[in-house]
Amino acid sequence: MGFQVFLDIAVVALRFMLPLYAVVIVYQCFASMRRHRRPEKPLVTLEIKNTLQQIPVLFWENSIGRSKGSDICVEDPTVSRDHCVLLRRQEGWMISDIGSKGGTYVNGKRARGRTQVLIDDEITVGSTTFVLKRGDEFQDRIRPSWFFSKASNKGSLQPYKLMLLISFFHLFMAVEASFTNEVQDFTPFVIFGVLEAIVWTFFFVSTFAFKRINFELEALACFMTGIGALILYRKEPRMSYVQLIAAVIGIVLFCVIVKIIENPDRVDSWRMAIMIGAVGLLAINLIFGTVQNGAQNWIQIGPVSVQPSEFVKVAYIFVGAAALDKLQTKRNFFEFIVFSAICVGALALMGDFGTALIFFVTFLLIAFMRSGDFKTVLLALVAVVFAGTIVLKFKSYVLNRFAAWGHVWEYSDNLAYQQARVLTYTASGGLSGVGIGNGYMKYIFASESDIIFGMLSEEMGVIVSFALVLAIVMLAFYARAITTRSRSTFYSISACCAAGLMVVQTSLNVFGATDILPLTGVTFPFISAGGSSMIACWGLLAFIKAADERTYAARRLSKHQEDR
Amino acid sequence: MKRIMSRSFVILIVSLAMVAGICLLAFRLLTQNEQWVAQAYNGHVASSNGLAQAGDITDRDDVTLAYTDDNEERIYHEDYSTRCALMHLVGDNSFNISTSVQSMYRSELTGYSFVFGLGLPKSLRTNNSIDLTVDADACKAAYEALGNKKGACVVYNYKTGEVLVDVSTPTYDPQYPPEITEDNESEYDGVYLDNVVSSSYTPGSIFKVVTAAAAIENIPDIYNRTFECTSSYDIDGANITCEYAHGTLDFTQAVAQSCNVACAQMAVEVGAEKMTETAEKMGFNKTFEVSGITLSKSVYSLENALGDNQLGWSGIGQFEDLANPMHMAMMCGAIANGGTPVTPYLLDSDSSILHKMGVIEAKTSEQMLSPDTAAKVQDIMRATADYYYNARGLTMGGLNFGAKTGTAEVGEGKEPTAWIIGFTEDENHPYAFAVAVEEGGYGISAAAPIAQAAISSLVNNP
Repeated sequence: MGFQVFLDIAVVALRFMLPLYAVVIVYQCFASMRRHRRPEKPLVTLEIKNTLQQIPVLFWENSIGRSKGSDICVEDPTVSRDHCVLLRRQEGWMISDIGSKGGTYVNGKRARGRTQVLIDDEITVGSTTFVLKRGDEFQDRIRPSWFFSKASNKGSLQPYKLMLLISFFHLFMAVEASFTNEVQDFTPFVIFGVLEAIVWTFFFVSTFAFKRINFELEALACFMTGIGALILYRKEPRMSYVQLIAAVIGIVLFCVIVKIIENPDRVDSWRMAIMIGAVGLLAINLIFGTVQNGAQNWIQIGPVSVQPSEFVKVAYIFVGAAALDKLQTKRNFFEFIVFSAICVGALALMGDFGTALIFFVTFLLIAFMRSGDFKTVLLALVAVVFAGTIVLKFKSYVLNRFAAWGHVWEYSDNLAYQQARVLTYTASGGLSGVGIGNGYMKYIFASESDIIFGMLSEEMGVIVSFALVLAIVMLAFYARAITTRSRSTFYSISACCAAGLMVVQTSLNVFGATDILPLTGVTFPFISAGGSSMIACWGLLAFIKAADERTYAARRLSKHQEDR
Repeated sequence: MKRIMSRSFVILIVSLAMVAGICLLAFRLLTQNEQWVAQAYNGHVASSNGLAQAGDITDRDDVTLAYTDDNEERIYHEDYSTRCALMHLVGDNSFNISTSVQSMYRSELTGYSFVFGLGLPKSLRTNNSIDLTVDADACKAAYEALGNKKGACVVYNYKTGEVLVDVSTPTYDPQYPPEITEDNESEYDGVYLDNVVSSSYTPGSIFKVVTAAAAIENIPDIYNRTFECTSSYDIDGANITCEYAHGTLDFTQAVAQSCNVACAQMAVEVGAEKMTETAEKMGFNKTFEVSGITLSKSVYSLENALGDNQLGWSGIGQFEDLANPMHMAMMCGAIANGGTPVTPYLLDSDSSILHKMGVIEAKTSEQMLSPDTAAKVQDIMRATADYYYNARGLTMGGLNFGAKTGTAEVGEGKEPTAWIIGFTEDENHPYAFAVAVEEGGYGISAAAPIAQAAISSLVNNP
């Protein structure tokens, strides 16, 4: 008896340590992100020829024009409101006219398409002439975003240490999962072993083969992937294996996307192919799709069932973003609108309300971030049409969900069965949870996906589940903070919208399960069971990764360090 | 780039909306977690319908009223009558009696805490016992006196606030709950209500206590008045009647002999406004809470009264008047306690250690009567008991007491609701009581013996 008490105290102590540990890991991930900083100085400067006034060029892509919102604002009536874009590419600085009235001239010659500009070249817009100068000549300091500015000066945690922290967390989870109230065996360590093999291989490939110096984003995703795989094991071991296989595919997709979008101009030529591919996927889904839980959003291929709409999410972000000088062209813009209409239309036909809602909100985000003045009206119009379509299509379904919303305890045995269980077991878990495998949430339908928040809270405690939700929020803050440090608006927009999409999806998942919003049935990024969802989340993460300018500058940086 | 940056604030808005949602969820979790946990389907406490981990419930003498045995089975008191008598207070395995201790304090009983949840290993689990203030023997006595009548009996110590008897009928055996079908429905009509706290009945003559208080405060020469009763009296074109002609009565006699004619005249003279004011001061139309249980309201409303005749009827506890038994006991407690009632409580833990040691005063509610009026009403009720009830053989364990009975008409074809309310005047046994019996008949014959049984038990088996 005495020994049992001692053992139980140890188990409870471990359970209370884990949540604090999780908070430390999430904190460390973002602390490291914040500490990475480049010297805050202009890339080049533009000198106005007549006045010798120096204008710092801060970004990789800069709009030049008369309007106040331009990055380089020229007070010259002969200059168009949005005149041209000065952008930096692998080959050097370029200027690209974006349909100005008077045209753009480099050393007196009219620039057609993108034209290279060298140091000391003259750029003429309207009656103003600039000379391109090196950035070192400009002395004023530039204020960085708050996200980076308040970071402490302590050296950041090195990526391998962060990974070690995460691996130990997974180890503790595996120990907990091995000693549940009902079963005691060491099979969870198989999952743990495979998981660590995957994430450490990924880490070494990233660090030594790709020579990337930062790994926080990937570390956070690995952390969450591992939590999902380990917590699902005691519900259904098969799910854990699916998660791990999907994670491998997801990580490969992550690397491929980061590679594809390395050159933001190459993206332009891929756009059409991706759109056609995505539309094709949706078409296949509509023709061959099978109905599960009221939505026809699955394709069965042999023993594997795939949810194509998840992959279309990635394609959607890809198509929605563009480089600054392409952003305003009408062709690009209409392509996006048509594609959006097809996506939401197809999802409406499938009856997948949750995903349609995610697409709709993401559409609003992308539309807002890229829309110029005159297009806002058109976008708003399209938005109204979309909203109308969704409401009409899902009317009865939505009404049903709304009936249960806010009346959980009245309908706790029928309409709000799942939500009532989520709330009860969330509260039953307390701060530190009842331990992995000891919960009752796992016996409830969809507890591995739509209402996984309940299982997380019950077995690991609300501190962990809240920390994971906040990690998604921080991802959005991070994506926004690196907007102006990206190498192209393609990255800024895609990163913000990918993060925004994840926030919306997480909100629908968590708040739907806990009766703050009506239940819609979407997955929790990286944690919910579902191969397609896991792969898509890694795909989305690639956009945030790519927005960090250091992702592609790694080789140069490491060489720079060697020189020192 | 700058434009994109400034537009990216929409992402912040979405994120902040999510943070707001999380805060709302956290707030709900903090404030409602006990309700969320206390569900019958909760797997962590599922056997015995959520009472598998529950602690013991004991009465004031540490008699165990309910406990969970080694097979996680909930066991109630061994005596059938005691189980039935305390069913509404203790509760059963279901959640049907929402005001019972096992429903309201289920999370405390099971040792649930927000920090640890329900996941502590068995060896570390601390389930909490709950000590009740009631006396199981007295409850049993009251239950047996009630017989198969529907009603309520409450006795509480008006100096300390401890509720000693809390019995409601109809009831059933919590150890072997009956299957309620169409055939036995009427027998169990209202069985899930604790009538002491959740019911309000037409008060009848017990309301004359309120009318007397209003008369004392609003008619300056009330003690010099005489009333003439010829068994019928016309007010506003309709008659107020007594069962027989009381003859000439002074104020105290009028109330003590429960003369309708006299009391209705007093109510009319006091007037609707002042009657309502006094009734509300004495707790009518107010919400009281006893150990977290919200009492059913007592009602005194003249909104629908057409004239002085109905005002007169309201003054003798008819019309639309309603009274809750627990509130009636509190009101008697106030009368015997100088005008201000001590708030009753059911859980022993509700009173602090300092209070038990007599260092600090018990928790009191708002004043109901001025000390002067309270003393005068107390005198009238004592006189009523001395000259009228004693003659009918009514005793309260040999203690001095004051009381008022009531026989409330509730409509054609139904026997009246029988009432008795009152207090004992004894240093060691300061009890306020209220008994209501549905379709009981006369208060003195149907309700009074139940109060007598409960209080005798309290006095004789300390």
